[in-house]
Amino acid sequence: MSSTHRIPTRAGVGLRLPHIEEVVATRPSAGWFEIHPENFVANPRATELLQDLARQYPISVHTVGLSVGSVGGIDRQHLRRVRALIDLIDPILVSGHLAWSTHKGEYLNDLLPLPYDRETLDIVARHLREVQDGLARAYLLENPSSYVGFTGSTMTEVQFLNELVDRTGCQLLCDVSNVYLSGQNMGYDARGYLDGLPAKAIRELHLGGFTPEEDEATPGGKVLIDTHATRVAEPAWDLYAYAIQRFGPRPTLIEWDNEIPALGVLLGEAEKADAVAREAGRSEAHHVAAG
Amino acid sequence: MLPLADVQQRLRNAVVADDFRAAAPLLIGGVDATRRLAIHRRHYETSLVAALMGRFPATAWLMGTAPIEDAARRFVHIHPPTAPCIAEYGRHFGVFLAAEPGAERVPYLQSFAELDWHLGRLAVAVDLPAASRDEVAAVPPLELANARLTIQAGTHYVEASHPIDDLIRFYLANDAPERLELPDMSVWVEVRGARGAFRFARLTPAAFAFRASLANGLSIGDSVARAWVADASFDPGAALALLVDAGLVTGIDGQWAARN
Repeated sequence: MSSTHRIPTRAGVGLRLPHIEEVVATRPSAGWFEIHPENFVANPRATELLQDLARQYPISVHTVGLSVGSVGGIDRQHLRRVRALIDLIDPILVSGHLAWSTHKGEYLNDLLPLPYDRETLDIVARHLREVQDGLARAYLLENPSSYVGFTGSTMTEVQFLNELVDRTGCQLLCDVSNVYLSGQNMGYDARGYLDGLPAKAIRELHLGGFTPEEDEATPGGKVLIDTHATRVAEPAWDLYAYAIQRFGPRPTLIEWDNEIPALGVLLGEAEKADAVAREAGRSEAHHVAAG
Repeated sequence: MLPLADVQQRLRNAVVADDFRAAAPLLIGGVDATRRLAIHRRHYETSLVAALMGRFPATAWLMGTAPIEDAARRFVHIHPPTAPCIAEYGRHFGVFLAAEPGAERVPYLQSFAELDWHLGRLAVAVDLPAASRDEVAAVPPLELANARLTIQAGTHYVEASHPIDDLIRFYLANDAPERLELPDMSVWVEVRGARGAFRFARLTPAAFAFRASLANGLSIGDSVARAWVADASFDPGAALALLVDAGLVTGIDGQWAARN
């Protein structure tokens, strides 16, 4: 199933509830909007407004509660609620996280880390198929922001994602800020990480702000926290330019979920993403011509 | 490597129950990776406490922000959410608050907090097209008693030992007196909400029993029986007409509806 909207060439922004009335009233110039279905499925008023916006703007749906990594399985009731919303607004893309958040009937309201081994691969692959069947469309899987890894992991995250793409035909949402943040926190090379991803499977890019704080795990060190509460940091913009050169233009989204600023600030960040992508594209064309 | 089920149990215990011992040997990240896992525990707590404070603004206004935040911090570790829509979380926080030390000084705290939670639900409701008198009258008289009515989703019925509707109206109007004594006086209240606006109506005990029973899914006949317990002179025909005229009925279910 594919949306009647075309995949946008301009960057979009996350549409959170504090901005929805303003967007309906002012109809700002924006490439597209992304929503979290968990904010809408129990909110008929916001869904009503979203349906109105979906007639004008491309919308993507980014789930935070499907929990494809939970050993206990997918919450089918929640999957049905997400499907019902999708049927109402005809999104251009549907995505979620390589993470887990449900456990024996509890919902832990965070994106918790997974060990990367064969058992996890089997479980996530099975759940991805179930989600894609339940939603009747491709599901983009996002790389996590990491603070810890597991002694028992037998493959890297990049190897794990490649295997999932091969097994399930899922596509990937590459969160460039997460790649930078996790590289810093876990000590790997962010550009090398991007080099290892299957370019053809990358359908969307995310950029979000992170916040450095004292690393209580390593005296004197810093850890980057994926707060989505600030502007995108310069090193993440640099890595974004590299991602565009590596993958080519991709729909890009600015995420800002906490301490949400004025809508204009978000749209300004999206304009900056467009400018960085244009410059990176020119640079890539120059390299190709010179080569 | 442990089975994934065991790994997730250990991480759950760290995040929810503050027990990091079993997770520690599984993790890498810095010199002491449990400190990194504590970032997830902190996010779990702060995000859910913020969600509860967002769902109980009137309760925090009544009791003070600090004690409600303290209670929320304990609540989230004892009662994790059970579904991914966090806006639906906290329905039972009022019961928890009423069991807190000192809560006996505010005998209406539980019902007030429950009303506060429901106001959040009603604020985002939308009115559906209402059934007309003609549609209800089309149900054959012999089948009317077994029919069930669907009531507007943005409706809530609350019975309380004190006039908490007055109290919440002070909060909504941001117009509370310096000091207020709530009399010991039972109230039966219907609250309607849609698109951010609310309407409060006090009902007689019989009308309340009738409407609340219908809203809970009971048949018209059973709802009338509940109303007659409250008041033997209750007039079902007039009550049904008032309900329909108020635009509160959005659907009629029963054998009759199934055949049509």
